[in-house]
Parts: sequence; C-alpha cells; structure tokens
Amino acid sequence: MWIKQIFLALCGFSFGIVCSAGVFTVLVAVGLIPRFAGKFHVAKHILVLEEMVVFGTIAGGLLSIFPLFSGLGDWVLSGRLFGGATGMIWQVIGSIICGAFGMFAGMFVGCLALAIAEMLDSIPIFARRTGFREGIGIVIMVIALGKLGGSLLYFSQAMFAY
Amino acid sequence: MSNLNVYLKAEQNVEVKTAEVYLKDIAKIYASDSHMVNKIKAVKIYTFYAGGPKRQVISILKIIELIEAACPQVTINSLGEADVLLEWIKVRKHKQPLQFIKIFTAGAVSFFGTAFTIMAFHNDISINNIFRKFYEMVMGQPADGYTILEISYSVGLALGIIVFFNHIGGRRITKDPTPIEVAMRHYEDDVNKALIATADREGGSIDVD
Repeated sequence: MWIKQIFLALCGFSFGIVCSAGVFTVLVAVGLIPRFAGKFHVAKHILVLEEMVVFGTIAGGLLSIFPLFSGLGDWVLSGRLFGGATGMIWQVIGSIICGAFGMFAGMFVGCLALAIAEMLDSIPIFARRTGFREGIGIVIMVIALGKLGGSLLYFSQAMFAY
Repeated sequence: MSNLNVYLKAEQNVEVKTAEVYLKDIAKIYASDSHMVNKIKAVKIYTFYAGGPKRQVISILKIIELIEAACPQVTINSLGEADVLLEWIKVRKHKQPLQFIKIFTAGAVSFFGTAFTIMAFHNDISINNIFRKFYEMVMGQPADGYTILEISYSVGLALGIIVFFNHIGGRRITKDPTPIEVAMRHYEDDVNKALIATADREGGSIDVD
C-alpha cells in the first residue's frame, strides 16, 4: 500500500516539475515580463516581477488543484469575520478583489495573445504582404476592439455553454 | 612624430541626465598618454534642448570627426558599437511614489495574470479528472477527497518554478542571471537595434554626411 503511495507521490512530483518547466518556457519565450518592465521603466526591480510570477503561479495552482479548500468567501461568511454586517462588507471587498483579478488577468492575457502573435511575426508579415506602411496603429486598435467585442459576445451569449 | 593611437569603445545605449553629452559619457577611451585621454573625454558630442527629441542616434564616424577636430594629432581605433543611442532621462522620472505605483501595477499584472494562466491551463486539461483516474489506476479503488497526488504535484510545481527562475524571496539560488533577466537584455538589445535602424532609415541619426 505505501509503495503505491510513494509511487503516486513521485508521479505527482514529476508531473508538477515538468508542467512548470513547460508553462514557463512559453512565458519566457514570448518575453512578456521584460516588456512590462520596459514599458513601466522598472527594469531595476525585475526581481520583484519575477517573484510575482512565481507566487502568482503557486497561488493559482493551489486554488485550481484544491478547489474544496479555496472557498475564501465561504470561510469569511460562515466565520462572520466582520460581525453582523459581514455579508454587506464582504460584498464590497469581494467585488474589489474580483475586479482587480479580472482587470489584471485580462491585461496579462491581452498582452500574451498579442505577444504570441508577434512572436510568430504575423503582424509584420501581414503588413508586408498587403504592402501598407502607415496605419499599423489603426490595425492594432482594431485588433484590440475585436478582442473586446469577441470577449463581450462570448460572455453575453454564454458561448461557453455550447 | 607619428600619431598617438587612441582606442575607443562606445556603448550601444547611453542614458544621460544632463543636457550636455560628453564623450566620457558614451565611450571608454584608452591611449598611452593620459593627458590626451582627459582632453578627448571632454569633447562635447551633443546637446539636448527642451522641446527637442529625447532620443538621438549618433554615428561613430561623427564622433571620430569631432575628436579629430579637437585633437588633430591622434589616430582613433573604434572597438565598440558603430552607432550610439543617446537617451535624455529626466531625473524626475525616478521619483519614488510613481516608481512604486509602476512596480505595483506591473507586479499585479504578473501575479494575477500568471495565477489566471495556470488555472486556465489546469481547467483546460481537467487536472482533477486526470488525478482521479490516475489514482484509481494505481490504487485500484476510487479516491475520496484529495490524495497524495495533488499535494506532491503542488510541491513539484512550486519547486519547478523556483528552480526555473532561480530565486525565491529575493535570494538567488545560484549566481546565474535568471531567465527573465536574460530575456530583458535580449529585449533591450532588440529595442536599441530597432531604434538605431529606424533613425538611420529616416535620416534622424547624426552622421558625417
């Protein structure tokens, strides 16, 4: 019995290590974090950003692997952490947390999507083939609007249900 | 008397805080005559002015011309970059609160973004199903609740990331640069090359002709 448990532990351990290597090779290859550091002029503090990448991944990993232990709202509400008005207070705090998560995660995914497109040189190739020199900014703007529209359409029409 | 050999090693990208840019800001200079080195170091290369461009590309040929105008009896050997990108940095840009807000925003994007990415990845591959099936295959009976697999996977994931990025809590595990620091250098190089190439193409660089 315990041999099987040790085998399982070894398997899980190696799954984890190889998964993180795979996920992060992609992340580093698209060069997103250097781009953030460059845009915000915080290249000196790039270690802070890397720490955030490390902790973000660990947090996300724990949340998605142990959903039964991740009920922060349940824990706060059942424990009545803020006394009688817990429900109302948590409504506000929870909305702020969700808003922050949604906005920052959205920014990250938007950057990731275009960074991957850029890594494959799709925009320069497209621009060269169609032969236009001006208006790349407009094309980027239209891409962003398309992403916004598509995202809104996806959620409003409940496309995930199909 | 033969000319004095002067060796010049220019940087690719120079950030200056003052409007006047001297040769000592943008290049390392060596010559056997230290008096001559000091004289060459003080050659003025460029002056930024308010309202003008904040970036300027200068060809090494222009720099050599300026040096020879100031000190005619030298022979210059350029060992560094062929073009130098000057950037005029306002000191104001490094003010503390603004810097903090920038780090905070970039950090929040990195934190929530990667948390979302790994959750989306786990969701995509239905990781809990895989673990349930794998546990059943090995143990011969279905699992109730979480098993050793989830725990060891999480430990492995964390360890893999930390080994990959080579540091935890601001402390490096080995002395190598981290992958993101390497990527940062690549990115800076690419940006410098693109700026220099654009300036050359659009005639914005200062050259001899």
